[in-house]
Amino acid sequence: MRALGLALSYAASGLVLLAAAAGAIAAAGCDPAAAAAGFARGAFGSVYGLSEVVVRATPLALAGLGVALGFRAGFFNIGSEGQIYLGAAGATATALLFPGLPPWALAPLCLLAGAAAGGAWAAVPGLLKARFGLSEAINTIMFNYIAINLVGILVRTLLKDPANPLPMSPRLPEASFLPVIVPGTRLHAGFLLALASAAFVAVLIGWTKAGFRMRAVGLAPRAAAACGISVAGNVLLASTLSGALAGLAGASEIAGVHHRLLEGISPGFGYLAIIVALLGRNRPAGVVASALGIAALQVGSTAMQRSAGVPTSIAWIIMGLLVALILARPTLFRSLIGAEGGKR
Amino acid sequence: MALLSMRRIRKSFGGTVANDDISIDVEAGEIRALLGENGAGKTTLMNILYGLYEADSGELFWKGRELGAHSPRESIAAGLGMVHQHFMLVPTLTVSQNVTLGLKSAGHPFPDRRKLDAKLAALSRLYGLDAPPAAKVASLSLGEQQRVEILKLLYRGAELLILDEPTAVLTPREAESFLAVLKRLKAEGHAVILITHRIAEVLQAADAITVLRGGRKVAELAAAEASPEELSRLMIGREVAKAGRARHGAASPSATTRTAASPAALRLDSVRLSERGREKLSGISLEVHGGEILGIAGIDGNGQRELAECVLGLRRSGSGSVRFGGSSVEGKGVAARARLGLAYVPDDRHRDGLVLDMDLAENFALKSLDRPGLRGRLFLNRSRLAAAAAEAIRDYGIKASGPSSGARLLSGGNQQKLILARELAGSPSIVVVSQPTRGLDVGAAEFVRERLIERRDAGAAILLISADLDEILALSDRIAVMHRGRLSESLANDEGLDLTRLGLLMAGEGAETPA
Repeated sequence: MRALGLALSYAASGLVLLAAAAGAIAAAGCDPAAAAAGFARGAFGSVYGLSEVVVRATPLALAGLGVALGFRAGFFNIGSEGQIYLGAAGATATALLFPGLPPWALAPLCLLAGAAAGGAWAAVPGLLKARFGLSEAINTIMFNYIAINLVGILVRTLLKDPANPLPMSPRLPEASFLPVIVPGTRLHAGFLLALASAAFVAVLIGWTKAGFRMRAVGLAPRAAAACGISVAGNVLLASTLSGALAGLAGASEIAGVHHRLLEGISPGFGYLAIIVALLGRNRPAGVVASALGIAALQVGSTAMQRSAGVPTSIAWIIMGLLVALILARPTLFRSLIGAEGGKR
Repeated sequence: MALLSMRRIRKSFGGTVANDDISIDVEAGEIRALLGENGAGKTTLMNILYGLYEADSGELFWKGRELGAHSPRESIAAGLGMVHQHFMLVPTLTVSQNVTLGLKSAGHPFPDRRKLDAKLAALSRLYGLDAPPAAKVASLSLGEQQRVEILKLLYRGAELLILDEPTAVLTPREAESFLAVLKRLKAEGHAVILITHRIAEVLQAADAITVLRGGRKVAELAAAEASPEELSRLMIGREVAKAGRARHGAASPSATTRTAASPAALRLDSVRLSERGREKLSGISLEVHGGEILGIAGIDGNGQRELAECVLGLRRSGSGSVRFGGSSVEGKGVAARARLGLAYVPDDRHRDGLVLDMDLAENFALKSLDRPGLRGRLFLNRSRLAAAAAEAIRDYGIKASGPSSGARLLSGGNQQKLILARELAGSPSIVVVSQPTRGLDVGAAEFVRERLIERRDAGAAILLISADLDEILALSDRIAVMHRGRLSESLANDEGLDLTRLGLLMAGEGAETPA
């Protein structure tokens, strides 16, 4: 009975979402049926379409894992976007500094540098929270602006390609590239890295003492402190790891897709990562699944624009509504599912 | 005819009777003290009067007319006003804005503030309630804020003022001027009900005294006829205390035969602690030896929590020293102190004791992660943790479906047993327990007390902090009283214990020398 109600509440949410999407498409003066067909073909209709979904999902999954890890330890990292930018800058700088290294050394080194840069960037708001109790939600947002514009300066100065008038870095040495894993597509090894990271986070959170301490601090900081678990230390650790995963996302975008640093290297992956973590209920497998779902929505809506002339803004409208529905579902459909309390 | 008459009021919450057949009359121009320990039913009775609770049975007459079910809003309209223990003021607004908040003053919604201020100033002068109308409430001292609360009631035409522990937050000088205000109120014909546990104040200010104990009215007398000793005896209830003590017997032999040369298991020397400009602990010194229980009695909020957390290492004292077994633990954190054999049972189990969203095994593991026996430096040994928790469930009779059931789903008694199992697991040599049986049913409370006695007899030094005097009397070998951040000398809990003296110490009267 309860399971049925739960399923019904999800189905009802889905229906509301579909109806809203169809309404918005019709309002834009397009044919919803043609749009739907274009969406499905674009995202799932070909190997290339599918590979594009996975390419998109890779940074979302990595950054989403970071956000989820932070959430579990009570660190609300809204700053993935900035950490992605710094991770990308770190990877680029490393590749340009050591162009002579062989591929087996340079590519991992770039990823490592990206993770380190993202982690260090997130550790600052982490330290401010741990030491002075300052709100990390606000500080990480502010750090986004700093990071994004820092990269803007870097691509015009230190990392600029002298041969190109545009603000971008030179093309990186091929030794820094992540290998393509499906020939004929852009699908690169970054996705395997995301899967490995998901496994790492799952083991860390669920099976290690360090993860146990972080969870305790996230759920009940005072009780953890009274049991001798360092709240400050674990907040700092969680913020650093969270930022490192976002930095890895930025490095993987550089080494796997763009092969040079540009302004606007992330079209809001860091913000989407928050939605991804939320949809995935902060669980690693859930985060990977929801990253794939969000990526499909984006890739599909791009195809929808090509085939039926529907503006891609629809995808953002649907995502906004999706989050609102997920948050409101337990109260909206209370009569169906009863109180859904306690368990997390 | 009495201004207020409450007749045979009865109120219970779940199974506990908070007010049992209480009747009380208040005349105009009378200051009536409602005296009793924590949990005697004072606040419940006043909340019924004010309309926050509805009585199960009984009648309420205001100026001769029956007042049935009523809301606080109706109480205010009728001329009843209450100042709560925690003030209800908006800190960012001025005094005059707070006083007129929610009223439609002349010119609403753009009242003439200057006129209101003048009216307020006149009221201030009349009652000697000095409060600058244009000052922001956030900038006022607690004593001034209290005057604003009283002004607020008078401005709204209150004829009867209910004041809940009004001097609890005041400095001695502020308390003095507060008593002067009470006299002015009386002179102007207002009636006042003073909820308090401070005997000295009652004798100074009140006309008549009603003493409550355990939800019942035990005495009603004129202040002129009362003595502090008698009030103290009425409040505490000698026979209850005696019965409690008989259960557990006296100190263990090890406590009585200890040599003076061996250092105390736990020793504090003039520990001071200030937070946000207020002194929480003013030079606490105490000693607890292995095999004895030192009971810290006293009303909640007199620094007990701060004391416990200074021993725990969660707060750092400003000065003074804490020693475990003769060596200083200065600079050592919570974990280091726990490794030295310290266990802690906090008063707020939901916030400080348990991670409610974790399961039983995980909660049990919170403190034992680094203990040898849980092999593996990196990984959790889940089966080992579950086995340890299952053992605790069996040994402590915790009612749960198993180690993987959520801590949130346990009853209060079982949650406390879980904490106790975790804290006593490493055979600690020092145990700090705070309100160990608060909110527990009789069976669970008895279980908890037996475990503590068991630990003491095994040689642990136990610091027992409790606002429940019966509990203190039943368990402690020695008793000291905490009052406003100070600790009294300790009294041996034997046949010669002077209960009257204990009551006076709890009310803040008596010599304050180190325990």
